[in-house]
Amino acid sequence: MSAIELHDLRVVYRRKGEHDRVALDGVSLESDNEMLALLGPNGAGKSTLMGVIAQTIRPDSGERRTPTSRKGLSVVFQTPSLDLLLTVRENLRLSGALHGIAKAEADERIRDIATELSITDRLDEQVRHLSGGLARRADLARALVPRPTVLLLDEPTTGLDIDARRSFWDSMERIRKRHGMCVLLATHLIEEAERSDRVAMLSDGRLVELDTPSRFRASLGSRVLRVAAADGESIHAVDRWLKSMNREVFRIDSGLIVPDAEDVDLQSCPIDQVSLTLAPPTLEDAYAIRTTTGAIS
Amino acid sequence: MNGSGAMSALAVRELVRQVRQPSRIVASVATPLMLWLFLVGGFSDAIGDVANGGASLTAYTIPGMASLTVMFASIFAAISLIQDRQDGMLRVALVSPAPRWSIALSKIGAGSLIALIQALIILFALPFLGVQITPLGLVGSVLALLCISTALIGLGLAMAWIVDSTQGFHGVMNALLMPMWLLSGAVFPVEEAAGWMRFIALANPLTWAHAAMRWSLGMSDAFNPVLAWGICVAFALFGAGLGVWSIARSRHTR
Repeated sequence: MSAIELHDLRVVYRRKGEHDRVALDGVSLESDNEMLALLGPNGAGKSTLMGVIAQTIRPDSGERRTPTSRKGLSVVFQTPSLDLLLTVRENLRLSGALHGIAKAEADERIRDIATELSITDRLDEQVRHLSGGLARRADLARALVPRPTVLLLDEPTTGLDIDARRSFWDSMERIRKRHGMCVLLATHLIEEAERSDRVAMLSDGRLVELDTPSRFRASLGSRVLRVAAADGESIHAVDRWLKSMNREVFRIDSGLIVPDAEDVDLQSCPIDQVSLTLAPPTLEDAYAIRTTTGAIS
Repeated sequence: MNGSGAMSALAVRELVRQVRQPSRIVASVATPLMLWLFLVGGFSDAIGDVANGGASLTAYTIPGMASLTVMFASIFAAISLIQDRQDGMLRVALVSPAPRWSIALSKIGAGSLIALIQALIILFALPFLGVQITPLGLVGSVLALLCISTALIGLGLAMAWIVDSTQGFHGVMNALLMPMWLLSGAVFPVEEAAGWMRFIALANPLTWAHAAMRWSLGMSDAFNPVLAWGICVAFALFGAGLGVWSIARSRHTR
């Protein structure tokens, strides 16, 4: 049995005087001892899916099966969930107590985790005095005290600058290598999804596709053609030109993407006022193609 | 999982927070103290003794001021639930294996202790006003004040669970609790009030908590003490039950 097994989940938010909103629609997935990224725009259903796994949201239908109780599950939320008036050590001890861990055992774990996350010298400072990046690492430490088998990261680097983000992920990589656990990461940042073993693309509450980052990229061939232009007329003209060559064309917000485009002759493009880029495919290309609502295939 | 460890850890957290926010203590004690000094002090000579001559107005109102202190402290304790939601601490507790009743009971336990300490500061003015506090009086007062704080924090938690903002919570609690306090014999003897007011006051559980406290302190025997204590304890159980039930029943973290 996998650490996380979800079958045909459906969650509908009902508010008085408003239309029902389907937050999750038929989502099924399994995950075990890997980092799985849930990639999607705001409102795609990532946080709702996290809530179902954390058992704070009850699905309207479907099944959530997991061998881990809440004791083996921790969550790092979008914003640090620490008591600002307590010291880092007091927060970590509280996390241990909430998971039924004895104080002596918790103190031992805190020592280890603080060393791993390089926060040992800040353990006795009140959280309100920490920088955003340090507070984030302290929050990660808080989630690691129970030694979870399933760790949920809900957009954990929101609001962090580049250095703090890099430091967070470096720490996370070390922890994963050492302890091994199932990490579920909700994000809308492509570079964070690239770090994952697999990526689940979500759009409008549906699981669009689930695969490894490399296979997502490989599905677009060795080169993609990206087309950008200042006006819609030029885009339409390029679209017509590519279709005349029986190319598969996807319209995205910023223009067009053409997969398997290694043999497209850019010199023969009849339109001048466009930017044509032939490049190796990225996860972002795959994501744009799979989640765009106006895709022309 | 046994929730007592989680409950005590959460309660200790509340106490540490209290110590690191001394302004909360000042706010809880200062308002009743000023009300007592300026309002009751101003009227005391004009009104004379109350409660069948058993005590001066200044002494008679001390238990009421102690309960007002408890009320303010209880509001702060309940507001901390909204603050916990905004800070993210509530969701940490809710996704943990700790039972939800431990969250509610930690707030009630720690909040009651804080409220009691603050209220006793007020209550200890009694000997200076000619009312000696006997051991029975002290135990009775502590129990009555604990009943009041337990009930009010429980009610406050139930309210805080459904109200999103501290401003909204303040509005609702002030609209509910201030009339409740004013019509509870806190500053005047209910038994001598006008008929309609007496009727409302007798339906108010806080009236009976004040009666129980004053009976213990030997300041008034206008009410049946068994009935007063019964209603006082029932009020506490109802408030605590409602607070625990509100948090435990919901599957959503809100």
